[in-house]
Amino acid sequence: MIEWLYLAAQAAALAMSAWFFVETARSQRVGRRHVVGVAVLEAFVLAQLVAGIAIVPGEDGSGAGLFFSYLVTALLVPVAALFWGSIDRSRWGIGTAAASGVVVAALLLRIHQIWEFQIHVG
Amino acid sequence: MSAEPQARAPRTLADGFGRLIVLVYVVFAVSAGARAGYQVATKFADAPLSFTLSAVAAAIYLVAAVAIIRGAARTALVAVGIELAGVVAVGALSFADPDWFPEPSVWSHFGSGYGYVPLVLPVVGLVYLLKRRKAAR
Repeated sequence: MIEWLYLAAQAAALAMSAWFFVETARSQRVGRRHVVGVAVLEAFVLAQLVAGIAIVPGEDGSGAGLFFSYLVTALLVPVAALFWGSIDRSRWGIGTAAASGVVVAALLLRIHQIWEFQIHVG
Repeated sequence: MSAEPQARAPRTLADGFGRLIVLVYVVFAVSAGARAGYQVATKFADAPLSFTLSAVAAAIYLVAAVAIIRGAARTALVAVGIELAGVVAVGALSFADPDWFPEPSVWSHFGSGYGYVPLVLPVVGLVYLLKRRKAAR
């Protein structure tokens, strides 16, 4: 993983989550601006996936399957959460999307560990 | 969905805060399930108890998620109750006798490998479900 790209994606996930939790506290319904927020996070995770496809095959470790399955999960979770949240009329619609940011941050942490210990070895 | 009247659709268990709970349950069912499946398939003999427990935990997460989505309050309560008992029992056992759990499972050490979410989740779930049950009366 490219370190600065990983940190940028991590920052995007936490920033989106924090913003959405503020929206939860303000009882906002899921709207267009939130779709844009999720799209920005998705762009960062997608960049990780593209970078992974480019550099992982050249590494010595054997954790590629794990690495990519976590990355694809991280890509799917915010979209699923925003959809699942958008069909709710309470504040917890956007709250659900906010929680997905924390999930993505945790997945990225795990992906980074897999990179460090199971792929980028030797 | 579309067939229901928009104005006064009944509030189900999966509405409101339940939506967030369902998301977390589904994420845990998928991640614990995928991990258990991978471990059982590749190295089951190393730690059969840990891996079986992970699979059982994944199944309970799935049951809880589906029960909340479908509004089966009693099933959800039972599943979340078993989950809480499981994480407390396995957490305590894994500290008392680490030899039993050479490989980490979702519930060992009270879910420390998962940021203690496995311990917090059933408590939050129980509070939510009991609150909703009280409100329904």
